[in-house]
Amino acid sequence: MSVVEVDGVWKIFGDRAAEAIAAVRNEGLGKAEVLNRFGAIIGVRDASFTVEKGEIFCLMGLSGSGKSTLVRHINRLIEPTAGTIRILGEDIGAMTPDVLRALRAEKIGMVFQNMALLPHRSVRDNIGFALELRGKDAYHRAQLADRALETVSLHGYGDRLPSELSGGMQQRVGLARALAADPEILLMDEPFSALDPLIRRNLQDEFLSLSQNVRKTTIFITHDLDEAIRMGDRIGIMNDGEIVQIGTAEDIVTAPADDYVADFVAGISRLKLVSASKIMVAVESHVARHGPIDDAHDYPTARPEDDLDTLVELSTGTELPVLIRHDGNTVGIVTKDTLLHGLQGTEAA
Amino acid sequence: MSATAALSGAEPREVESRDVSVPVFADRNAGYYGSVFERLQKGELPFWHMNLAGLLIPWIWSAWRGVWLMFWVSLALDVVGLVCLMQNFKYGPLLEDAYLDPSANAILIERYTRWLSVYNNVGIATLVLGRLLIGLQANRWYFGQYSKWRIDGRTAHGVAARRVVIAVLILVLVAPITLYRATQQRIDERACFNQVRAIDGTKRLLSSYGVTEVSDLTSAMAERRDRLVTERATLEASASLTDDQRSRLSAIRREERQLRREIDAAEDFKAVTAKDRLDCLFIDDFPTLARVAPPEDVTYRRVPDEEAVAQGRSGATKVIRQVKDPVEGRTVNIFTYTAESIDIGINFLRAQYAGIFDALTNVLRQSLIRVEVAFMLTPWPVLVGLAMILAWAYCGTGTVVFVGSSLTFLAVFELWQIAMQTMALVVVATAICIFVGLPVGIWMAKNRIANWITEPILDVMQTIPSLSYLVPAVAFFGISQPPAVLATVVFAIPPMVKLTALGIRQVPQSTKEAALAFGASERQLLTKVELPMAVPSIMAGLNQTIMLALSMATISAFIGAEGLGAIVTAALGDAQAGKGLLAGIAIALVAMVIDRILKGIRSSLSRI
Ligand SMILES: Nc1ncnc2c1ncn2[C@@H]1O[C@H](COP(=O)(O)OP(=O)(O)O)[C@@H](O)[C@H]1O
Ligand SMILES: [Mg+2]
Repeated sequence: MSVVEVDGVWKIFGDRAAEAIAAVRNEGLGKAEVLNRFGAIIGVRDASFTVEKGEIFCLMGLSGSGKSTLVRHINRLIEPTAGTIRILGEDIGAMTPDVLRALRAEKIGMVFQNMALLPHRSVRDNIGFALELRGKDAYHRAQLADRALETVSLHGYGDRLPSELSGGMQQRVGLARALAADPEILLMDEPFSALDPLIRRNLQDEFLSLSQNVRKTTIFITHDLDEAIRMGDRIGIMNDGEIVQIGTAEDIVTAPADDYVADFVAGISRLKLVSASKIMVAVESHVARHGPIDDAHDYPTARPEDDLDTLVELSTGTELPVLIRHDGNTVGIVTKDTLLHGLQGTEAA
Repeated sequence: MSATAALSGAEPREVESRDVSVPVFADRNAGYYGSVFERLQKGELPFWHMNLAGLLIPWIWSAWRGVWLMFWVSLALDVVGLVCLMQNFKYGPLLEDAYLDPSANAILIERYTRWLSVYNNVGIATLVLGRLLIGLQANRWYFGQYSKWRIDGRTAHGVAARRVVIAVLILVLVAPITLYRATQQRIDERACFNQVRAIDGTKRLLSSYGVTEVSDLTSAMAERRDRLVTERATLEASASLTDDQRSRLSAIRREERQLRREIDAAEDFKAVTAKDRLDCLFIDDFPTLARVAPPEDVTYRRVPDEEAVAQGRSGATKVIRQVKDPVEGRTVNIFTYTAESIDIGINFLRAQYAGIFDALTNVLRQSLIRVEVAFMLTPWPVLVGLAMILAWAYCGTGTVVFVGSSLTFLAVFELWQIAMQTMALVVVATAICIFVGLPVGIWMAKNRIANWITEPILDVMQTIPSLSYLVPAVAFFGISQPPAVLATVVFAIPPMVKLTALGIRQVPQSTKEAALAFGASERQLLTKVELPMAVPSIMAGLNQTIMLALSMATISAFIGAEGLGAIVTAALGDAQAGKGLLAGIAIALVAMVIDRILKGIRSSLSRI
């Protein structure tokens, strides 16, 4: 059972959303036409995906592409115009307000781009907020909050006010707040986008190592493909409210679904992303062109899952192609030409 | 949208291509304006550069080209100048009259001559300098219009005869009547009223005599008078009269008197010229001479209900309605009509809901007494010490000294007890303001319709002068302390409500969203997020409310509030400046002490 299942979700903003959605389904109207005819804005357009336990799922897209809108459906801060969302198998659209509040407080933690901490509360009280809402007593709240603070390496800052902390530290507090109630799911809406590059890098690394330990099911939003590749086990790319492609970083980089995704991918370094198996040439076709492989030479060898970086390492200092071997068999060959084309992302001639 | 365009951030944009060149803008005479605008932009236009049309026919030129600002300015300047010159027609005849007897009217002659020379000089100067200014500015304003037009294509441009027509209409509407008014003496206050009376009276007479023409009416009346005179003469001529004849004679005399009044009215009516009507309708007051029958003169009174008492309900009362006969022929204007209707309404409410008013008065009086006793029974050293400790804890040493010396002032001048009465009123009023204002403010922040209703009411409440609040308070509750408290509450509550609503509305959407995302209910959102974050704003509102309450507590001495204000009002009545001044200083000091301490507390709060 998937932890989060999003199935055919639509969100159209405006009073005439119902009419608009019918028109879009029947006539396939675009964003501008819907705005013109119904005064309605398409926020999310038929989005479906699932997130498995412990997975980090990245939603990536330009600003305004509907990422925030989509992720707010998952804790029902926004009601979908159509479609269903199931959390741990339960349809949240059918939940009563009480059950929904319990779900939000206990099962889902959320981190916001602008931190959204409560300025009048100490860091500790901010972190204990969800627990307080559930009526947990002050003693346990403080204990849990301090533990969460330690997790984000902010030990000893519990009695400060948020305004006394730097942006990076505030976002750590935001993360600690989301973790304090030990929820199963983390929703992170561009948590690091407002931070300096260096601090962002730092927090990314820390979050990754933290994830290794706690294994939270995470939906991570970003507008930065590099970040998505670093953080995400899988990536969903959004354009104009629609999810245009879902896949691993390698899938997306090697086989972009459309021009929009291709444009994103164009600037990405493929060194660490693409594996040998994606670019290698079958032995027969190599033989057909360049003649048989001469056993006398000591060919460099690699495994199919090795990345281009490794192949470059192996190819330097020798004129020989690299043999890709799997289970003792040679399954493919990478020549210098193939390697260079592979780095560029173009097909070998 | 292609993906490339999306990525580079360059959304396809429709740039409206519109010809913004001078020829399109100016239409006629574009060559001239082109060169003028160019020189203006280069800073080469000499100071004395003049638009001749602007100098000679500014109204027409500006309207034709749509430079409305210039139209209005030139119109205003010319009219002011002409109005000054028109004074010749007003004072000229007076001056001539005065010259008939120069020695007796020396003072008048000197005065009128001086006035006329001043008016003439100012008038000519305004006309000449005004025209020069317009001539100099015309092209510069026109360039301003051009720049505006380049940004906003809807700005008036080109030339249009339609605009000239509009301008002429405006001129016809404004100029003649204004200039005519300048030649006329002020109209006698009762003249217009008498006019209306003569007209109405004559109309009545016309219908009662059954004629349509006023000439017919006068001849009919003259005929009737002749008849009466002849009859009276015969009666008076006879030596002895029977009782019948005697009563007939006095009846004739009465009728004659009545008839004389009617004839006078008709004469008055005939004396009303068209000019008089015009003066009254268009140049004197706004023509609101409408008269209506007054509202029914009703009084409501609560009296013992004998029926109910007889049925065993002792002390039962009921409201009775008494109507007085209307005064024959009395008509009132709309102001009086409305005012009397309101009086009747208040009278009804007072009688109908006497129980509620009494209960409210009682609660207010009791709480006032309690608080007053608390203030007055607490020994003054305790209160002074408390105030100084607060000042020391939240403010600087300067404030401590200030608080100390202010309170010493009260003590030295023996105003302490009286100041405590004022304080009691302020405390009670402020407490009510908080209990009412806070929920209303929250409601206003949360509910669009509530906001839509409350906002204008609060705005009006804040603009009405404080003295007006005393009137309804007295009307419903009479003269005593409780209505003073109520008037104070009504006067002081707006900032409490407004700043509470403001504070809650200021809470960022994202913060509220975060709270909801962690499972907050609406109620928790209010108590744990919105209200705490609104505290600085609410405190600012509280501070303002207290200051307003203090000022109103003084003013409400007029309707029986005790305290420092009572000394001020008494001093006003007896023209004792010294007493009033000292009490006034005491009030100011109390206000400043409270304000300083509250500010200190607020700033220590906002440091959090
Ligand atoms: N409450 C709303 N009412 C109307 N339109 C909205 C609302 N919220 C978001 N939108 C629109 O939905 C689209 C997606 O917005 P958003 O989800 O915030 O994008 P992202 O997070 O990817 O930057 C945008 O065009 C935005 O203008
Ligand atoms: Mg967003």
